[in-house]
Amino acid sequence: MDIYAQNVLDRYKTPFHKDKSIKPDLTHHEANHSCGDEAEVHLKLNGKKVKAYSWTGVGCAISMASADMLGDLVVDMPLTDVLKLTKKDIYDMLGIEISLRRSKCALLSLLALQNGILLSKKKEKRSWVDYHL
Amino acid sequence: MMDFKKDFPLLCHRPDLIYFDNAATSQKPQAVLEAERQFYETRNSNIHRGPNFLAEEATVAYEGARKTVADFIGAAKPHEVIFTRNATESINLVARSFGETLGQGDEIVLTKLEHHSNIVPWLQLKERRGVTVRFLEVTPEGEIVMDESAFTKKTKLLAITGMSNALGTIPDLRPFITAAHRVGAKVLVDASQLAVHSPIDMQALGCDFLAFTGHKLYGPTGIGVLYGKEALLEAMPPFLGGGDMIEEVFLDHFTPAGLPNKFEAGTPNIAGAVGLKAAIEYIESIGRDVIHKTESDLTEYLLKKLSALPCLTLVGPKTSKNRGPIVSFTMKGVHPHDVAEGLSQKQICIRGGHHCCQPLMDELKIPGTARISLAFYNTSQEIDRCVEALQETYNYFT
Repeated sequence: MDIYAQNVLDRYKTPFHKDKSIKPDLTHHEANHSCGDEAEVHLKLNGKKVKAYSWTGVGCAISMASADMLGDLVVDMPLTDVLKLTKKDIYDMLGIEISLRRSKCALLSLLALQNGILLSKKKEKRSWVDYHL
Repeated sequence: MMDFKKDFPLLCHRPDLIYFDNAATSQKPQAVLEAERQFYETRNSNIHRGPNFLAEEATVAYEGARKTVADFIGAAKPHEVIFTRNATESINLVARSFGETLGQGDEIVLTKLEHHSNIVPWLQLKERRGVTVRFLEVTPEGEIVMDESAFTKKTKLLAITGMSNALGTIPDLRPFITAAHRVGAKVLVDASQLAVHSPIDMQALGCDFLAFTGHKLYGPTGIGVLYGKEALLEAMPPFLGGGDMIEEVFLDHFTPAGLPNKFEAGTPNIAGAVGLKAAIEYIESIGRDVIHKTESDLTEYLLKKLSALPCLTLVGPKTSKNRGPIVSFTMKGVHPHDVAEGLSQKQICIRGGHHCCQPLMDELKIPGTARISLAFYNTSQEIDRCVEALQETYNYFT
């Protein structure tokens, strides 16, 4: 099954960052109601950088693996850089071809993460159109 | 077993495809494609108004389609058949038009088995007119629970599915229609799936409104049907306003047309209606009993094979009794989306998710299901291949 590379499958079955207790400064939940994926991300901050990341959720393998791998990407990253992460960054992170029908699965946790940060700064949330899907 | 696939160009062009998503939409027989093409190539014109021979030919084609649909569902009069864009629009028509007469204190009864298209228009009516919306409960087997106390003199409408798109349940509508009529309420049946798999006779069924859609019935997209009893439709105000649904237009008011035009504003999907007629004629040429037997046998076989996989749990009715060829299931430890993707990788099209039935999934306490929905052109060999693929998918993820 080509679209599920081994690393994606591994992170789905054995996540690193899922349900870790980090006493978060910031939490945000997003859901993709068309397929039933849900992701909630938690960030512990060190000033304006991500100190720790945790997540919880339920959904398909791509959405859950993506939520977990996002933690590797964003720890120690300035929040301003987290907001600059794009669809391409996530697809490169996953390392597999993401078809149109799985794009929201792949991007759900990024949406949750970026919206959590934006809302904490009292800015407007993003929606799917902002990822040019 | 007969080979029906040869009648369906897409299935011939894509012989490796196993199409098990018929509840979402059906494939189209050559006869339907030919009918639409023929219309555009030989009789295309706008209908009703034009005082020329070509407009008359187009009108005869369109009204001929209406008569075919009326006969298909046993309507007493062709003008009780309104063409819409789809079943969703048909239900919205009733909610907006019949719904205009309702207000605070009036109640609509739905069920938790309903598709969003038979829930949301009523929630919108609640927002707009202040009606109360009640839901009949559903069992884990997908049966609607009769609750006589839900039907009171406040009840103005029962809107109920003829066959669940998510679970395949075919409820016995008679007690529900009786309970509604006993308190003076009208009944709308969402027959989007039922019309595909079961003959419908409006005189025997006795409901007041019936909605279904052409694209699930081997017809084109963009054409749907609302049946309404003549007296009801006559009393209802128009839905959309514009050309064709009027008698006279002045600067300050208009008078609506009679049936069916009152509810068909603007240029309709003329070619779509012609295609729907061809679809009905096609399935009648095969014979509804032949189609029903084929589908029943396939469903029985599918249930037997799925039940034998320990990694699967059937959701809804577990036997072939009182159900259509739609089967939902969950796979242990694998999200429905991944089940569908796993099968998609092997050229098998099923659906995974909530199937536009979020309240039902909430009630069953699951995020969604994987759903196989069969048609008479599917085969037992395809079912065998699908079952192998399901096991492979399970092995891959766990």
